[in-house]
Amino acid sequence: MKFSKLAMLLALVLCLPIACQKDFLDRKPLVGASEENFYRNAEDAVASVNAAYAALQFEISPAGHFRWFWGDIMSDDSNKGGSGDNDANELLQLETFKGPTNTDLLEAEWLADYEGIYRANTVLERVPAINMDATLKARILGEAYFIRAWFFYNLVTVFGGVPLADHVLAPSEYNLPRASADEVWALVESDLRKSVAALPLRSQYAASDLGRITKGAAQALLVKTLLWEKKWSEAQTIAEEIVGSNEYQLVSNYADIFTQAGENNTESVFEIQYMNASGGNWGKNNANEGSFTNVFQRARGAFGGFGFNLPTDDFVAEFFKEGSEDPRLKSTVFRVGDAMGDRGVFTLDATGGFPHKYYAKKYFNNRSEEAPFGDPNPNGDSNDRVIRYSDVLLMHAEAAQHNGNENAARQSLNLVRKRARGANNAILPDVTASGTALLDAVYHERRVELGLEGHRFFDLVRTGRAQTVLGALGYVEGVHNMFPVPLSQIQATNNAIKQNPGY
Amino acid sequence: MRKPILLFLLSCLLQAGLFAQTAVSGRITDKNGEPLIGVTVAVKGTNTGTSSDVAGRFKVQVPSADAVLVFAYTGYQNKEVAVGNATSLEIQLDETASLINEVVVVGYGAQKRSNISGAVSTITSEEISELPILRTEQALQGRTAGVQVTQNSGSPGSALTVRVRGTGTINNSDPLYIVDGIPVDGLDFLNPNDIESINVLKDAASSAIYGARGANGVVLITTRSGKRNQEGKIRYESYFGVQSTWKKANLLSAEQYAILSNEAHIAAGVKPLPEFSNPAALGQGTDWLDALFTTAPMTSHQISLTGGSDKSTYSISGNYFNQEGIVGGDKAAFQRYTVRVNGTHEVKKWLNIGTNVGLTALTRNGLAENNEFTTPLVRALNMDPVTPIRKADGTFAYSRYSDTDITNPINAIEQTHDRWRSNRLVGSVFGELTLAQGLTFRSAYSVDATFASQGIFFPRFDLSNDPVLSDAPAGEKRLINSVVKNDNTWRNWQWENVLSYQKTFAETHVFNFTAGTTALYNFHEYSGGANTNLPSNDPDDAYISNTIDPITTQSAYGGADESALNSYFGRVNYAYDDRYVVSAAFRMDGSSRFGANNRFGYFPSLSAGWIVSHEGFWKGDLINFLKLRASWGQNGNDKIGNYSFTTVVNSGQNYTFGPNQTITNGSVSLRAANPDLKWETITQTDFGVDMELLQGRFNFTGDYYIKNTSDMLYAAPVPLTAGTEAPVRNVASVKNTGLELALNYRNRDRAFKYSVGGNISFVKNEVTSLGNGGEPVFAGRVQSANASVTKTEVGQPIGAFFGYVTDGIFQTQQEVNEGPFQNEATAPGDIRFKDQNGDKIIDENDQVYIGNPAPKFTYGANIDFEYKGFDLGIFLQGSQGNDIYNATVRYDFTYVNRPVSVLNRWTGAGTSESEPRVNLSDPNQNARVSNRFVEDGSYLRVKNVQLGYSLPASLLKKVKCDKFRLYVSAQNLFTFTKYTGLDPEIGAYNGALEAGIDRGFYPQARVWLGGVNVIF
Repeated sequence: MKFSKLAMLLALVLCLPIACQKDFLDRKPLVGASEENFYRNAEDAVASVNAAYAALQFEISPAGHFRWFWGDIMSDDSNKGGSGDNDANELLQLETFKGPTNTDLLEAEWLADYEGIYRANTVLERVPAINMDATLKARILGEAYFIRAWFFYNLVTVFGGVPLADHVLAPSEYNLPRASADEVWALVESDLRKSVAALPLRSQYAASDLGRITKGAAQALLVKTLLWEKKWSEAQTIAEEIVGSNEYQLVSNYADIFTQAGENNTESVFEIQYMNASGGNWGKNNANEGSFTNVFQRARGAFGGFGFNLPTDDFVAEFFKEGSEDPRLKSTVFRVGDAMGDRGVFTLDATGGFPHKYYAKKYFNNRSEEAPFGDPNPNGDSNDRVIRYSDVLLMHAEAAQHNGNENAARQSLNLVRKRARGANNAILPDVTASGTALLDAVYHERRVELGLEGHRFFDLVRTGRAQTVLGALGYVEGVHNMFPVPLSQIQATNNAIKQNPGY
Repeated sequence: MRKPILLFLLSCLLQAGLFAQTAVSGRITDKNGEPLIGVTVAVKGTNTGTSSDVAGRFKVQVPSADAVLVFAYTGYQNKEVAVGNATSLEIQLDETASLINEVVVVGYGAQKRSNISGAVSTITSEEISELPILRTEQALQGRTAGVQVTQNSGSPGSALTVRVRGTGTINNSDPLYIVDGIPVDGLDFLNPNDIESINVLKDAASSAIYGARGANGVVLITTRSGKRNQEGKIRYESYFGVQSTWKKANLLSAEQYAILSNEAHIAAGVKPLPEFSNPAALGQGTDWLDALFTTAPMTSHQISLTGGSDKSTYSISGNYFNQEGIVGGDKAAFQRYTVRVNGTHEVKKWLNIGTNVGLTALTRNGLAENNEFTTPLVRALNMDPVTPIRKADGTFAYSRYSDTDITNPINAIEQTHDRWRSNRLVGSVFGELTLAQGLTFRSAYSVDATFASQGIFFPRFDLSNDPVLSDAPAGEKRLINSVVKNDNTWRNWQWENVLSYQKTFAETHVFNFTAGTTALYNFHEYSGGANTNLPSNDPDDAYISNTIDPITTQSAYGGADESALNSYFGRVNYAYDDRYVVSAAFRMDGSSRFGANNRFGYFPSLSAGWIVSHEGFWKGDLINFLKLRASWGQNGNDKIGNYSFTTVVNSGQNYTFGPNQTITNGSVSLRAANPDLKWETITQTDFGVDMELLQGRFNFTGDYYIKNTSDMLYAAPVPLTAGTEAPVRNVASVKNTGLELALNYRNRDRAFKYSVGGNISFVKNEVTSLGNGGEPVFAGRVQSANASVTKTEVGQPIGAFFGYVTDGIFQTQQEVNEGPFQNEATAPGDIRFKDQNGDKIIDENDQVYIGNPAPKFTYGANIDFEYKGFDLGIFLQGSQGNDIYNATVRYDFTYVNRPVSVLNRWTGAGTSESEPRVNLSDPNQNARVSNRFVEDGSYLRVKNVQLGYSLPASLLKKVKCDKFRLYVSAQNLFTFTKYTGLDPEIGAYNGALEAGIDRGFYPQARVWLGGVNVIF
């Protein structure tokens, strides 16, 4: 063996494997699409935004975080209910403003919001590079902007400033600290503006796309955002754009809104879709399409529910403020003697040892409407009516009143009252008040028109009335206008996330 | 790395000048004058050498009259002879008891034991052949300190749990197995009779040469080969054995069962069953365990041929092995045919080539094992004794009482048809070039290919009296039969190139250099299908195309995965004057399993030894050899899954759209990718001592080690801001510290030869981190309590048992009222659980650690005697201080049988302080996870006793036979344990987090066996 041969051999030994190493060691999964090889076409883009929609349905992640937990139970409209104080006791503690910081419920809210944000962020990062129809791409991005805005809206109204995850976070960024509430509102506003610009009107969607976010929905959430920011003038303008689009119309009979037939009706602006036909389960991120709200709000005992969200006397009394009973009460609250659909008559004895006077009605479902197979409890089929046209009209009235356009305000307000009174001209006369009285009339109208739809607590906080109304229950302005950040998240980030003041 | 190698290559080339050569020949004999074959004859300080032929003769070229010849032969003392002017030498070698000169296989080479500075254990072929075993891992059990082997199941062919120096990770803690240089998964293909030696690299310094794969120890297996100039040998080895169970659980008789059933009904306020009104009439009833266990045969036949010429060696063997199970008989049978061909040939003075090829065809019939749901064992343990095995008409009976899972176990076995057939080729070809004196280059290409197919047939059956009425419960009938077929292919190849250089300077400085590269590729593909409704109910007709159902009801599936490894490694050994030894190794591993940001891992190690007994001052009368050694090193565990660094997009994240609410697919990946993903790192420090006394008759090895696993993979919870499931990250850590001692005494000088040996290993395991937040991991869910049994958290050992502690029985209502609140239904006779936090309420906060499945120490011992052709060997093996969670009784079911201990139940104040009342519904949850079910799992097992007789050589010479030995042996003859279950040997199942939970483990058999070994 001579040196040249040796050198050749050495070259072989040391260099040959290196020469091919780059490809040799680069092995992607052979089965299933990895993120690198998904997001190739329009179909993938649609699937990715659909996954973000799926997050809208989360209600138990794995603890409950229903919109009505925060909007109704925390307010003076309803109490927790359930099978006694020990049933979801944390909810009772929150409702009485005792402020536990380590509740599964708020942790679940936090988690579900960020899951939705992650999914929307994934769409916003992956879809732009896909070579596909430009119109569809713009729409999908518009939907994703809305969904991201919606979850940040939930976060900022529940917790105040939160970590501003405006992109898919790398593991090194998981300890992101909180941004200010103003920064979050700014993102919500800017996302919604992009969404409004990109999305088609409701009537421009194909029938098969019913349930997708529309321009009107984005505008409506933007109006709500602007009200929070007290940008009255723009709020009024955009609310008027919604009205002027002629896409929406109040249904004639208020009682029809919360029926199966009333889903996605003419006054539906933003409605989260649920259905009862799949084999659902109780797990987190479950593939089922059903709602838990039905079973949670149904009376216990013979009615097979869990009996949460019990209307208060004060709430019911609001319906009698104008002398006679507001007809909307019948569609909002079950009272003793009422028929609970096909499940029988509501008597105190029939509720399994929990003789409450009132039960929430808007998300009641009949036995005949239950899932045909599987566990019916996670398969409630009532859509969540998040923003109805009457809400838009009342937001318009509120903004217009602040802008001094009292005629416009009264006009919108009276449209809502007109529908409520129906054929009975003896009740709910047109409001003629002005100034603060007009504003109070709008507030009253919101409470009865939108009762038990998850608005009340946030309305009180937003309009600065929470201390007055809820003070007796333990509410302290400057503390309870925001819920505590889940303790687990402060710990998980090694205190990079700070607690809200007062907790 | 390239430059130093080139430099030393140059230097060695310069040295490789020509020598003046003279020839010396001679003959080597033992002290009886018998020729010794295959003695290594080396010219000291050079690489020249040869070995003796069948007549003990040798011939070697020596450079000069100053040359010294070194004669080395395993089992004999080395001898050095100055050649002087002699051209012919008569050499006599003396036997030695010492092991220090034996050559030990280490990674990419071999070393004299005295010069090893790491911790390496060896198991010889004699030790392996002593036990009739199916799988090679069984040979490791009890034989070496620091290696804990637990049989996961007594079912033939079932995998074992092997832990080198404790459980290194909450993930995959299996060691790396290398057979003749080829990394392999699973050892069921390997015929233990083919093995020459097994070496276990225990410390990081020894295993660092295997880098990212060496963290949990390396098991190097060398198969038999022939030797140069060796007379051809034909060897026939065979045995036949009968296996049976050694223990039965004591369960209730039918009468006792009925009495307790009546009590349980009354306690629950339910009317007792009318048919149990006269329990005595029911008598003994069915002994389901008796019906379950059978005696089962096991057989092995092996023929092998070995030998060698002056240029070639060969070793060819064929083996047939068959073992049936003591549960299920041939339904759990394992059958294996193996053929092995190992050979080398010297093509040129500078080129050696060789091949090692093993072919295996095995069949394993699968019976459900190790779960609480479908195993015949759990069914036999829980089936009520009232139900007969068969009805009067001879068909199998079904129980009117037992629930879902607990069906007639004998019928269930009858209805099981699950066969796994696999053909595997593990082989390599290599060429070895001698480039210069002491410098060799070896290139080996190897293939490990497995083609396996599985056929499962679910026959139609119905235990109902009347098939039309179909009154048997769902588990006792299957009205539509079905067939499943699975195909698996594994294709792995490896190409290794190793350059070795050995050089001695000034007679006292001995250098060994090794450097090399590896490329390894693994590919696995599977496919399968199923269909229902076959016209024939014969398992031989079970093919998917034989089904009646339309093709649309067929299911088909398939997939594949792959991985690749590319590595560079090097090692330097240096010995000075046989007194100081130092070794340094380094490996760089690139793996496709690692994330893009950590594609390459670097693993260094260093070790040193001081042979004190070779110092001038040493007066070695008593202690003739003493070595102190220390080592430090790092290596990795790459068994982290092929694609953990990336993430797959999950579909099914649906939403409904459209007027008819159409469910529409949504897709998103639910787990974050982790491009930083890398191997798990183990850093290990080892201090050891090797000692021989009384001229090697007594030897001792001791090691203390600290083994820290860091970067352990764990999906530690992340801040929820991530919006996805936690990615798998290298965040957790575990620490194992241990002490290993091995002692041997051998006296082979007299006609009565004997040896006594023992080893013991202590390991302490502790989780030191679980990453950010350190959320504990719960695992080991048992059905009887519907809860997890193990908890793994920082400061505790991996997978410790966690639950409630019992505190006697409530004797009176007053005690219930005054005791801590358990629940509304707690009544006298229920267990009082300990109120650990003193808040007067028994809830999840009152759970504590109640046991540890890891033993405090494990040990093995062997005693061997030899006298005038008789030999007797006894091998003991045991484990001390480990706990077992006994989950074999299905307390979640109402009408199942119970162990006889329930007869001591509470029936009124003062009747029992430990066994609660019986009640149909267990309202107090007496069956919750508690120390009630934790038992001491310590055991000492007489693993093997073997008595043999070899016919005297004088007699055999006449028939030209070298050896004829007959033997009888008993395996698992005695087991000493307090454990009440069927077998105390319970390994890990479903990973490291679930060890020591008895879910109805298939017990090990007691085997009576006779065999014959013939060599001619």
